[in-house]
Amino acid sequence: MPGEKKMELHVPSVLGFEKVAMDFAASVAKMMHFPEERIENLKTAVAEACINAIEHGNKLDATTSVGVTLTIEPSKLSVDIQDQGSGIAEPPVPDIEQKIAGKDKTRGWGMFLIQSLMDEVKFESTPEGGGVVRMVIHLERD
Amino acid sequence: MNQSLEVAVRKQGEVALIDIKGDVTAVTGEHIERAYQQVCGEGVNKVLLCFDSGSYINSGGIAIIIGIAADGKETARIIRITGLSPHFQKIFSMVGLTKYAEIFPSEQAALAQF
Repeated sequence: MPGEKKMELHVPSVLGFEKVAMDFAASVAKMMHFPEERIENLKTAVAEACINAIEHGNKLDATTSVGVTLTIEPSKLSVDIQDQGSGIAEPPVPDIEQKIAGKDKTRGWGMFLIQSLMDEVKFESTPEGGGVVRMVIHLERD
Repeated sequence: MNQSLEVAVRKQGEVALIDIKGDVTAVTGEHIERAYQQVCGEGVNKVLLCFDSGSYINSGGIAIIIGIAADGKETARIIRITGLSPHFQKIFSMVGLTKYAEIFPSEQAALAQF
């Protein structure tokens, strides 16, 4: 697509490295002049997608990596987070009441946060067999 | 990758204040849980979690705070929160945590309402 710029980063499947991906995406969003509130949303979404890729996709295997691809277009930023696992299932919506009551584990908020904070989200499997979360954030809200 | 979290406990009257600064994650969360268990063991029934506004909090860290809120509900202990950035105030509200641990704009405001 004309005017499209693509950048890639690979981080090891080690918890904590999601912050590197988060800062990478945030620095690009700042250059694109996203408002501060939207950059914070992007940071959380990117961190959560990477944590899911590290923990569930790559099973904390430090020999694998998580791919972060940013695609800059004039009016939006697309972020693909790719793991080397076996694909991603659409997660159930977490229920705080169940978690507070001890009927469900307290974790499981990552995908909910991603879907709540980004403008577009898709969970897909790649032809190579990994899972990818495709997220888009628009410069201007509709 | 190294994740760092500083946790400290203070007391003000009947309230235990737990200062939390750094990376609030599933990896570091045990430090917060330990501080919470410590003040519970001392018979404290009012706990204020004082976050640093620059802290990084992820879903694993949120789960730790939900665990504390769940214990607070079960034991009739009052849990309150202050110091969060506007972004994390929004996140805590989105997940529903604020129904169980009210957020206050300042330490003074939280202490005045216990």
